[in-house]
Amino acid sequence: MLKIIVTRVGEALVALLLMSLVIFLLSRLTGDPVALLLGDGATEADKAKLTQDLGLDQPLPIQYLTFLGDALTGDFGTSVTAGSQPALQLVLARLPASLSLAAVALVFTVTIGILFGVLAAIRRNSAVDIAARLIALVGQSVPSFWLGIVLMYIFAVQLGWLPTSGYGQWQHYVLPAATLGLFTLAAITRLVRSSMLEALGSEYIKLARIKGLSEAVVIWKHALANSLIPVITFMGTFFAVMITGAVIVETVFSWPGIGRLAYESILSRDFPVVQTVVLVITSLFILANLAVDLLYVLVDPRMRSRG
Amino acid sequence: MTKPVLGTLRRTALGLLCGVAISLAPTATAWAQSDDLIVAVSTFSEETMTPWGGSGQRKTYLDVVYEYLTYVEPGTLKTVPGLAESWEVSEDGQRWTFNLRKGVQFSGGYGELTSADVAYSIERLIRDDSRAGPASPMRRLIGSVETPDDYTVVVNLNFPDFELAQGYFGATQQLGIVSKKHFDTLGEAEAEATPIGTGAYELASITPGSEIVMKLRDDVENHWRVTPDFQNIVFKVVPEESTRVAMLRTGEADIAPIGFDSIPTVRDAGLSIVSAEATWSPVVRFGGLIETSDNRYNPDAPWAIKEVRQALNYAVDKQTIIDELFQGEGTVASSDTPVPAWSTVEPYPYDPDRARELLAEAGFENGFDITIRTFTTAPGAELPLMAEAVALYWQDIGVNASIEPVDWPSLRSEWTEGRANNYVWTHRGFPFASAANGMEAGYLAASVFASFSTAELEAMIQDFSTEVDPASREAKFTEIGQYLRDEAAAVFIALANEPYGISDKVGEWKITTAYVWNFDQVTRAE
Repeated sequence: MLKIIVTRVGEALVALLLMSLVIFLLSRLTGDPVALLLGDGATEADKAKLTQDLGLDQPLPIQYLTFLGDALTGDFGTSVTAGSQPALQLVLARLPASLSLAAVALVFTVTIGILFGVLAAIRRNSAVDIAARLIALVGQSVPSFWLGIVLMYIFAVQLGWLPTSGYGQWQHYVLPAATLGLFTLAAITRLVRSSMLEALGSEYIKLARIKGLSEAVVIWKHALANSLIPVITFMGTFFAVMITGAVIVETVFSWPGIGRLAYESILSRDFPVVQTVVLVITSLFILANLAVDLLYVLVDPRMRSRG
Repeated sequence: MTKPVLGTLRRTALGLLCGVAISLAPTATAWAQSDDLIVAVSTFSEETMTPWGGSGQRKTYLDVVYEYLTYVEPGTLKTVPGLAESWEVSEDGQRWTFNLRKGVQFSGGYGELTSADVAYSIERLIRDDSRAGPASPMRRLIGSVETPDDYTVVVNLNFPDFELAQGYFGATQQLGIVSKKHFDTLGEAEAEATPIGTGAYELASITPGSEIVMKLRDDVENHWRVTPDFQNIVFKVVPEESTRVAMLRTGEADIAPIGFDSIPTVRDAGLSIVSAEATWSPVVRFGGLIETSDNRYNPDAPWAIKEVRQALNYAVDKQTIIDELFQGEGTVASSDTPVPAWSTVEPYPYDPDRARELLAEAGFENGFDITIRTFTTAPGAELPLMAEAVALYWQDIGVNASIEPVDWPSLRSEWTEGRANNYVWTHRGFPFASAANGMEAGYLAASVFASFSTAELEAMIQDFSTEVDPASREAKFTEIGQYLRDEAAAVFIALANEPYGISDKVGEWKITTAYVWNFDQVTRAE
């Protein structure tokens, strides 16, 4: 276990360093933030002064080394648009909203997805199976933008059961989490269904039945446990994608997450914030994958000996 | 799975569903029908708390905290006293004296407004690190600020500006007055996080990226300017327009800007519409027309010829665009700034035959190709549709327009860097309260945002800026407006309104003009 952790941490640091270089270069390809900061009556002299003030007149290698040196001390620079606010502070202020939404969406999708997947597998080709596969198809086909607005109009505007948007109470989570989670729900349902079908046809399941174990034990304890491994594999990725890919959901439901922050920062060429968001997200991906690896070891005893 | 197990599962699921339905059934919900005034805006922009901390878009929430030396009267658009009770300008337009209102108190116990606060506010707004839109031109304009006594501010300008009071120092711009004592006491970093002004409200809380809550000051009963009806104003950032409309319908928002095509939906829901009149001006700008600039003049562009530009104006049925795209919320424009002095300048009528004649005169009887770049802004969500409409009209006279959707930041970069020379683009205009400021931004070569300029025009603007006689100034200004129209400096489409959906909680709301929302003066419905 210790060896796994040490190896993963080393890999993480290398990944972060490479990512810092990539995002540094890519963000500068998007354009010049100075033009966006200038007021309507600005002149060339104003432009030159602002470029100098922001350090953008320096050669790129100098800019990168400056950024890297500061980042190692926890200073990711200040937002070029939001006054003198530290970029990291801006990102961390929005991170809890993203994490909580992703967590709720993940719990929703994993719970419902496993349930649907199991039911679809044990009642193969029945109405339940067809319904589960239909939900999977719809979930992976419907654009989240459209789905979010439709759910909003049904459950908030027409029925008045839930708020249209916003953040703060548990009711605010329902619609965005459902919208965010539907695509992943579809993927998990299909994954569990196919894994369960494979497991239920295996020899050890036949043996379990021959031994006289109840069907509930056979399904929920033996078959499902082995079917969860691919789900766990993807859970880490799903969680990170829910954080990073939620910009549309965050926009539709006015959710104050880092997806929207990243989008707005890209539009305003706020390089320090963009760089910080990407590095934070990269770190989350790495942590999520590390958690998955550790979960593997816990779930599958065979992994402990492989190390 | 055995039948009893399945049966248990079904009953459990059904029970859960019922439980969820009951718990979610509408009750007195905390998210709607609040007693507060809830304003849903599309953006908080930089979401900072000082006048110099970003763009004018933040004035939606800052203007209930900070106040201005002068205000604009709703309806008449006349400049009226604010924190300055009176003012005078020297004959040469380079020395302004403002006499401050006495007894105006800052929130937070920071004492009475004095000239030192005004001087500090000016200094801070024009400082090099200011992110305010007008910071650059104000920095060039203002020479020095004197405070001969606690209630007098004297501003010495580097060149004449006869509209300083309603322009840069008025409520449509960003010189909100801050408390110098607040900054001296807390230091800049801490003070910038907490807005302290003379307005009726003060900051209660912020949820970053979500909402800003302003609460009424304890001493508001004696406020000199407003008597608010709402204890709290909650500003929510809601980027998606359909979400804002949904919020209006559910009562989660009381005031929200809406798209023109949502007007019927909002009305059908039994809600009202308030339109801020002529706050923006959809226009098609030509690239490469700064004749006095080497890198921003493209003489090879077909539209470098005046007759071609005029033809492109005649070819467009602007009234139909207003009726169909803007639901009638606008008037045909002869300029891109709503200026009373330019109200007598006649816009180009719709005359495609005349357009073809002019093209032939200019040697383009077979037409030419043109690229229209377009994007969405706020306001300005309709600009891409407008581009399509314009392209169709131009197609009719033989000008083949291809539309390139871009994002505003990219185009803005190209524009200010002098690389927007081979195409035309849609824009929302310059809604300056001081038309002279708008003119300088758009038509002086020194401005990076200029899109049209000639030596003759620059001379006219210079002559106007130094004219001291008010009647002559008005005449010269009208002459400039006529020149811009005759030269077809752009395809001026409309002076458009900004519609806002209003809930039945709101009694009266007078939005004055661009960037003056008056949310602190919204009354509660009977």
